[in-house]
Amino acid sequence: MQKDNCIITAERLNLYYGDKQALRDVSVSFPRNQVTALIGPSGCGKSTLLRCFNRLNDLVEGVRIEGRILFEGRDIRDPDCDVVDLRKRIGMVFQKPNPFPSSIYDNVAYGPRVHGARNKKVLDVIVRESLKKAALWDEVADRLSDSAMGLSGGQQQRLCIARTLAVEPEIILMDEPCSALDPIATSKIENLINDLKVHYTVVIVTHNMQQAARVSDFTGFMYLGRLVEFGPTARIFENPQEELTNNYVTGRFG
Amino acid sequence: MNGGDDLRNADAPLSSGIPIPLHEGRQIGSGQAAAHTRSGIAQMSEELPSPDKSGSLWKTLRKRTRQIREEAIRTLWFCTAIFAVVAIFFILFFLVKNGYPIFEQIGVWNFLTGDVWNPTGAPPAYGIYPLIVGTLFVTLGAMAIAIPLGIAVAVFIAELAPSWMKGAIKPAIELLAGIPSVVYGFFGLIVLTNWIRISFDVASGETWLAGSLLLGIMALPTIVSVSEDAISAVPRAYREGSLALGATHWQTIAGVVLPGALSGITAAIILGMGRAIGETMAVIMVVGNAGVVPEPLWNILSPIRTLTGTLGIEMGEVAVGSSHYHALFGVAVVLLAITLAVNLLARGILVRVSEQHTATTGATRRARKGRGETARPYARAVLGIGTLGLLAAATDVLVAAVAAVTLFGAVRVRRRVSPKTRQKIAFGLLYAVTGIVLFVLGIILFDIIYNGAPALSWEFLTAPPSDLGRAGGIGPAILGTLYLVGGAILFALPIGIGAAIYLREYTRGGRITGIIRAGVDLLGGTPSIVFGLFGFAFLVLYLNLGVSLLAGQITLGLMVLPTIIRTTEEALKSVPGSVREGSLALGATHWQTIWRVVLPPAVPGILTGTILSVGRAAGETAPILFTAVVFSRRFLPESVMEPVMALPYHLFILATNVPGARENQYGTALVLLALVAAIYLIAIFVRTRYQRSIRW
Repeated sequence: MQKDNCIITAERLNLYYGDKQALRDVSVSFPRNQVTALIGPSGCGKSTLLRCFNRLNDLVEGVRIEGRILFEGRDIRDPDCDVVDLRKRIGMVFQKPNPFPSSIYDNVAYGPRVHGARNKKVLDVIVRESLKKAALWDEVADRLSDSAMGLSGGQQQRLCIARTLAVEPEIILMDEPCSALDPIATSKIENLINDLKVHYTVVIVTHNMQQAARVSDFTGFMYLGRLVEFGPTARIFENPQEELTNNYVTGRFG
Repeated sequence: MNGGDDLRNADAPLSSGIPIPLHEGRQIGSGQAAAHTRSGIAQMSEELPSPDKSGSLWKTLRKRTRQIREEAIRTLWFCTAIFAVVAIFFILFFLVKNGYPIFEQIGVWNFLTGDVWNPTGAPPAYGIYPLIVGTLFVTLGAMAIAIPLGIAVAVFIAELAPSWMKGAIKPAIELLAGIPSVVYGFFGLIVLTNWIRISFDVASGETWLAGSLLLGIMALPTIVSVSEDAISAVPRAYREGSLALGATHWQTIAGVVLPGALSGITAAIILGMGRAIGETMAVIMVVGNAGVVPEPLWNILSPIRTLTGTLGIEMGEVAVGSSHYHALFGVAVVLLAITLAVNLLARGILVRVSEQHTATTGATRRARKGRGETARPYARAVLGIGTLGLLAAATDVLVAAVAAVTLFGAVRVRRRVSPKTRQKIAFGLLYAVTGIVLFVLGIILFDIIYNGAPALSWEFLTAPPSDLGRAGGIGPAILGTLYLVGGAILFALPIGIGAAIYLREYTRGGRITGIIRAGVDLLGGTPSIVFGLFGFAFLVLYLNLGVSLLAGQITLGLMVLPTIIRTTEEALKSVPGSVREGSLALGATHWQTIWRVVLPPAVPGILTGTILSVGRAAGETAPILFTAVVFSRRFLPESVMEPVMALPYHLFILATNVPGARENQYGTALVLLALVAAIYLIAIFVRTRYQRSIRW
């Protein structure tokens, strides 16, 4: 894996919640147009790391971050960096589906609207295409004006993905997107992730090792705030270099 | 760190010079995506990264304007929030400034302990001991009535009532809270004092007993609703745990639910007490207002005088700048100190309650353990207040006797009777108590509607009064009340909502927020008569607005401001944080997130709070007493600098100063009651209609 192919890079990242250190010297690069999975036991810092890349940790009280995160060669933690623009280009799908309490259409159109799109025809196209890409169009095409809160959990999560796609991000961060879903909804989302990597770079945090093995090209294993090992998914699962990784992927602790 | 900076500086010019052909590269491969880009995204002007320099300049410019706009909005809300602090500061400053001369003249100790209050005598005497005693006695009497009834009704609503009955009783209790105090006072003056005079065979029914009965009813809704919240907040698992062990429903309530809700109920009692201490108009109308300490101390048929009553009666007739004037401000300072202490105590306890029920992780549990130590003083204070409450019950011979009999009975019953029968008895009592409370509400409503309805006519509703209000109508008073309330809301709504948005959306704790929140809470616990005094000293005299519509509107606006801030905060709080993150993650700005995602679902809650504030402002008398109203005025004010008539004040004067106006008294009371009830019903409707529509 060469640096040129990487879209975003973290260098020696240390993160503290108050006195508690959540990330320890994490350095990692995510390859462009690939799916990268972050695995590890609960509380190992996967989600925290993910939330560094769109600076959502800024919202957390008492958080302190050291190190650099380079996106297109610039540190996104630089005061000059436009965080709003950054979040537009690095989208995120959350653990629990969080649709806005408005119609399906308005949910998807929200992002383009806040970025200045007003033309109804343009919005119609964006909404349709985004819902199609998120494999939700067929299920909701005839009820776009219904409340998004009435959708099932799996549909809500795909709506959240459609919502993210509508602003055309370059990277999509997914924080355990299937943990609140049943197996059928999960498999739909996994297929979707596979399709997405043609156009997007996907970073997915997951608890579920089978899921990581199924969907990802690269895998990073984290433990107690450290990135223990990073490499092609096949290698991590079949031939891990580190004892810890081996123990984890073979289910000896978790 | 220095090394890192150098690195970054060295990097930046290099990397920003390189054009990044990301989009073009990524789009190859899917016709669909390409179409998407062409038809959709291309029209969002800022979307495509422009390789040329003017494009990036344009982008920087956009970023700058966006940042300036965000900052301006933030500053605006910060200013509204800080306004609340300035207001409380001004109120404190003016009260203390105007009260200080009397403390200097006769000394704080003499002022507090002197046992004669006779400011117009020769020589004048400024001892407020009898007034403090009066306030405490009336309040304790009220608590002896309101505490048992309130808790019983709360238990009934939370545990026993089927949902349809709940749907009827809760609005009824809210209506009880919504009845203006001057209407309570009117009912007390006409019905209650007469009943006491006849049944106890005394010269006048205007007594401590009358005041306590009336204040007990008035404090009831506060105790019921806060206790009910506390009881409902006890986790289901506790109940299930108890029931699964074979305990009866009543054993579960008495052994698990009530102990679990104890601190919440304590806070409810303290808040109810604060309401009783701060009440003015109803008290003035029924307690006789003689500044004496009851003789003997437990003589509940003695007249009495309270701190608030003294302000309400004497402020209107005092010579500005005299010792008497300063003494009244001294009274207000003492009153404010008492209510402040009471409300701070309640607030501390409520904060603890909410922590108990939300904290789950190890860290917070440890934090709470630490706080448990600091919470001890609260517990001690609660014990103290509980003891005082018991003393009150003891002075009330009747209540004490009943309590002793019930207690004795209960002990005997416990030994002989099965848990099932005990449950039947307990539930029977709860039903009976709830029935009594509803019956009292029914009597008040029936009396006013039955006697007031004959007075109603088109002429009564539109014509100005004549013959000192005995004849003619109340048209100018109705319109005056609407003017006052409308102006107050126009003034308070933008500031209140802005302050709430700032507190909830822009801050994460911190000292300044703490100060603002404390200021808001203090403002919220301040008795309405104190707002009246402040309005009089600051707006009417210092700003020279005179007794005017404008002064009344601002005073009322200040009074409802805390309610609006608090309900708006609650409404914003109910919108989950995950939705905010979802919006921010799409690249929406902070304000876009608030405006488009957070505020819309909060609107029903904000609306409900606003409507309730309107209802409260419409019924209040004390704040407008010295700032805005006149008794009789044939014409509507032509500008905000002129005084107006108002319904509550009109009723107050008719009831206390105009003999032989019985029909118009009841008519005015009915119109005022109907106005406020209508406002409350709208609020209840809005809440039930919209609050169910969103399930997070």
